[in-house]
Amino acid sequence: MTEAEEQILELFKKKAAVVSAKVVEVKDLEEAMSYALDVCEKKDFCELVYVGEGEKGGRYGQATQKMFAAPGLSDRQFGGLEKAGREKGFTVIREGMRGYVSGIDVGFSIADLGIADTGCCVLVSGGEDARLAGMVCEIHVVALAKSKIVNSLDDAENFMNGIMDKGAMFISFISGPSRTADIERVLTIGVHGPLELHVALMES
Amino acid sequence: MQTAKTMKHYHKELSEAIENKFLRQTLDKFAVAYRANRQLIFADVNAKELIADIAAAKAATIGRYDELYDQFKAEAEKRGVIVHRAADGEEANRIICSIAGANKVKKIIKSKSMTGEEIHINRALEAIGCEVTETDLGEWIIQLRNEGPSHMVMPAIHLSRHQVADTFTGAVGEKQDSDIAKLVKVARRELRSRFAAADMGISGANFAIASSGTVAICTNEGNGRLTTTLPRVHVAICGIDKLVPSLHDAMRVLKVLPRNATSQILTSYVSWMTGATECTLNPDKKKIMHVVFLDNGRSALAKDPVCGPALNCVRCGACANVCPVFRLVGGHKMGHIYIGAIGLILTYFFHGHDKAGNLVQNCINCEACKDVCAAGIDLPAIIREIRARLNEEEGSPMASSLLAKVLANRKLFHTLLRFGKWAQRPVTGGTAFIRHLPEIFMPGGNFRALPAIAPKAFRDQWPGIKRKLSAGSKCRVGIFAGCAQDFVYPEQIRAAVEIFSAKGCTVEFPLEQSCCGLPVLSMGERMAAQSVAAQNVKAFAAGGYDYIVTLCASCASHIKNNYTRILSGQPELAADTARFVERIRDFSSFTRDVLQLGAPDLVKSGETVTYHAPCHLCRGLGVQEQPRALLADAAEYKPSAEEEVCCGFGGAYSVKFPEVSVQLLDMKLNNAEASGASTLVTDCPGCVMQLRGGEEKRGKKLKVEHMAEFLSGKLKK
Ligand code: SF4
Ligand code: SF4
Repeated sequence: MTEAEEQILELFKKKAAVVSAKVVEVKDLEEAMSYALDVCEKKDFCELVYVGEGEKGGRYGQATQKMFAAPGLSDRQFGGLEKAGREKGFTVIREGMRGYVSGIDVGFSIADLGIADTGCCVLVSGGEDARLAGMVCEIHVVALAKSKIVNSLDDAENFMNGIMDKGAMFISFISGPSRTADIERVLTIGVHGPLELHVALMES
Repeated sequence: MQTAKTMKHYHKELSEAIENKFLRQTLDKFAVAYRANRQLIFADVNAKELIADIAAAKAATIGRYDELYDQFKAEAEKRGVIVHRAADGEEANRIICSIAGANKVKKIIKSKSMTGEEIHINRALEAIGCEVTETDLGEWIIQLRNEGPSHMVMPAIHLSRHQVADTFTGAVGEKQDSDIAKLVKVARRELRSRFAAADMGISGANFAIASSGTVAICTNEGNGRLTTTLPRVHVAICGIDKLVPSLHDAMRVLKVLPRNATSQILTSYVSWMTGATECTLNPDKKKIMHVVFLDNGRSALAKDPVCGPALNCVRCGACANVCPVFRLVGGHKMGHIYIGAIGLILTYFFHGHDKAGNLVQNCINCEACKDVCAAGIDLPAIIREIRARLNEEEGSPMASSLLAKVLANRKLFHTLLRFGKWAQRPVTGGTAFIRHLPEIFMPGGNFRALPAIAPKAFRDQWPGIKRKLSAGSKCRVGIFAGCAQDFVYPEQIRAAVEIFSAKGCTVEFPLEQSCCGLPVLSMGERMAAQSVAAQNVKAFAAGGYDYIVTLCASCASHIKNNYTRILSGQPELAADTARFVERIRDFSSFTRDVLQLGAPDLVKSGETVTYHAPCHLCRGLGVQEQPRALLADAAEYKPSAEEEVCCGFGGAYSVKFPEVSVQLLDMKLNNAEASGASTLVTDCPGCVMQLRGGEEKRGKKLKVEHMAEFLSGKLKK
């Protein structure tokens, strides 16, 4: 890693911490996935916010089964993850996220870019499952390759223009968990989206 | 939402708001915290430069909405989006209702959209039988309470956790705790089921990027993402002013918007939606996506050379956050839908002149908003312009047209001012204050003692003073007095003359000078403002002055910042105007930077002194260090809290809105007294008038002086 890359990495870590994202360093995607499974294991069962059809028939309560979603992975990647998750007793899914709007434990995504000076991850996801996984989970774990971190918003423009010029696509900048200060300006984490954001920085 | 029909009713509402203890505490805390956080979050970027870039880029696109709209439409349609343009709110509502109808929509969820508020889209959709749920926490709370937003970014900032708990108790049918974390959970739980059940999601847009047909939204709660992803149909409502040519333009704004709005580098989520992406609910597996652009007066406003820049607004809410009036009365009294300085302006353009008439008067012209605006808009100047237009549309109120007429004739004006001293004699009791000004002359103005007109105006003392002055070799100084010093505080100018002479200046006082014109401009009397400006330029044209110095911060900043524009219709004066504007200096920066007055010239005493920074000096002219350096060289300077917050004078404002002015004065004097100093120094006769009058009523705990008086007393003889 060159000195410049080192600096960018440090900047990313610093800024991500400011927005209360938890940053960890891992070797590769495999290690990132096992980190995410660990996170899932350690957390409490998901607090379901909505179950059932229609508002009136809805039930709320504690889940009894841990749910892990990773829609963006290749068959091979997913295969390994699914097996490891099953061994821990989780249900691991990668599609049909609409069936889990009431909440899941962990959503796992791979970022397409990181922006150091804002501490944010850029996720390009045309598919609705990929997007929903990061929205309805309690903890969102994003794997980001160190090589994909650019210095500033300006440096992300070329990448984004390349995608937006091509056709329909949904690009998300994600920095930190969902938050609100709408009641008496008191910062409260986890309103409509995840309660925690973890960024697993991959060496490769 | 401000709805008072008459000024009297508006005053009543203002007083009620000022009495609201919770609101006061919340907004006080917020004002202080906002300023501190803003400073921190901009520490690593050059805010002024970024804001200037944004303003320049916005200025370049302001006339290009049609072209950008066409490009956006073509690009978005290529990507499967249907794009509409509505001339006004009614048409926009019709379009959105027909989208709902065509797609058999019953349940709708919304993420935040000020444009949606502007056109009252909820009412229109409910009228055709749709159920609409706001999902931004603050918006949901006010929807449940049937209120309008009181802030553009924090719509429910006027409510306490207890009020929210009561509201949620009613909505959910179960008693709710007032613990904030628990209340947020209630919203998470209740609203998630609405997200799941909705047929259509309505969002706003922070940017509409023409080159790719992309709509972008910034949110913190994550509701925007769910709103645009879960339902079958997505409608984005977007003012045409949100059109930008390219991603680069959006990114540029993005560097300032979250910082200025909520002191964040970025919001938790920024979603860039290009085209119709996957939605498994629809037969073709594509989202049904519409973008509805709203004009509602924006195209016309874009052609308006003075007020057009209001369209550059990026809705960060900062102009409310720093506004001393907002801080006292809250957003419901400081806007109709849009809130704060921009709210006063947009109410006039979007919601009608009748709704704006009272609101636009309620600006003290402190320039705090202009100083922080993310888009570099000169908000107080636009507010003044709107007052002028209202006067032209509806005729001036008696007081302002009378003053305008009198000002047009300098001799008459000055004679009347001289006469003032005779007229007031019975009420001053022979002191320097009007203690018991009868209510009919100044309704509500009695919260401070008002000064008396001086027995002999400076202009009448000048021949005698001049005779005793010797010519200096350093530079030639022309004094611009302004009315307050000339007729009320001539001793302040005498003090300045003493300092200038001691430092080797030749001092002159051209007698043809008049009022700077700011008071009449603030009342919306454009012609009078022009005629006195021209009079002043001519009065100083021939004197060959190196500097023209004024002891009044408001005069200085008005001349520096507004004269060129005010006199642009008089090309024959252009060269003289330019010279005048270039040479005008305020007392403190002239004394410090040019005359280099400092420790060697002064007898430093142990006197403790604190400072009030006049709005038009610290912001209007950006002079911040010099006065404090002068004070530190002359005495023990003890800074007080919020030195740069307005003292509540604002010329005629303090008479028009005494209920607000007195509160600002009280806060100012509380802070000054808390500094522990024995003297309060400031740089503007208007502020002296307000502060001294307040101290007189409080029992003179502090001596209030103009910088010139204070320094002349410390000069080594
Ligand atoms: S100039 Fe001052 S009083 Fe007027 S709107 Fe701006 S901040 Fe408020
Ligand atoms: S006018 Fe300026 S400060 Fe006010 S909301 Fe708009 S951009 Fe922000």
